[in-house]
Amino acid sequence: MSPKTKAAAPLGPGEERSRQRRRRQWMYLAIAGCMGGVIGGITGFYDEGEGNLFTGGAEAMTLPPLLALAIAAGLLAAFLALPLYGFRLIDDYKRERNLVAFTGGCLAVIAGYPVWAVLHAGGFVPKPHAFGVFAIAYVSMTVSFLYARWRL
Amino acid sequence: MKNRLKVLRAERDWSQAELAGRLDVSRQAVNAIETGKHDPSLPLAFRIARLFEMRIEEIFDDGDHA
Repeated sequence: MSPKTKAAAPLGPGEERSRQRRRRQWMYLAIAGCMGGVIGGITGFYDEGEGNLFTGGAEAMTLPPLLALAIAAGLLAAFLALPLYGFRLIDDYKRERNLVAFTGGCLAVIAGYPVWAVLHAGGFVPKPHAFGVFAIAYVSMTVSFLYARWRL
Repeated sequence: MKNRLKVLRAERDWSQAELAGRLDVSRQAVNAIETGKHDPSLPLAFRIARLFEMRIEEIFDDGDHA
């Protein structure tokens, strides 16, 4: 029998459960990506001010109040509810890697903000701003996760 | 921590994904345990032992035989 005509071996019960787990994980990532895209798109489309979230000018942004409330709810869902739900989906091994990532993000902010503030006081860098601190946390978290994934 | 997971899995002709599904963990977790990069939690160690119908110390070896 040639490899093309050979029937595929039936999946064992474990293989089937592993496939379901992978499908659930991809679904979770797709939902998270869609939420991020929709929130970012709506925020950019309806922003009526001169500010830009990504260049430290968030205080100059203006949004219709109801839309601002809806986006705030969406952000809470995306950055709080979804990750907490995600923690329930993953196993101990992945939870450990995520904890390394969260620890990296937390430590980066605890160390990064005062360093940034004193460097600003010395005239080296611009004044610390909220989005910069958020970016420090987010980038550090991502780097820590990648470190944990490939080195631990 | 050293363990016999890979040998026990091979004896049953199971893939990592098959074992992972039977243990309700990710395939990456099975790989990490097999390669000694990750020590399983106590509940998972018990699940592994029950699955292979062995005692935990017959599968895992912490190197302390004192």
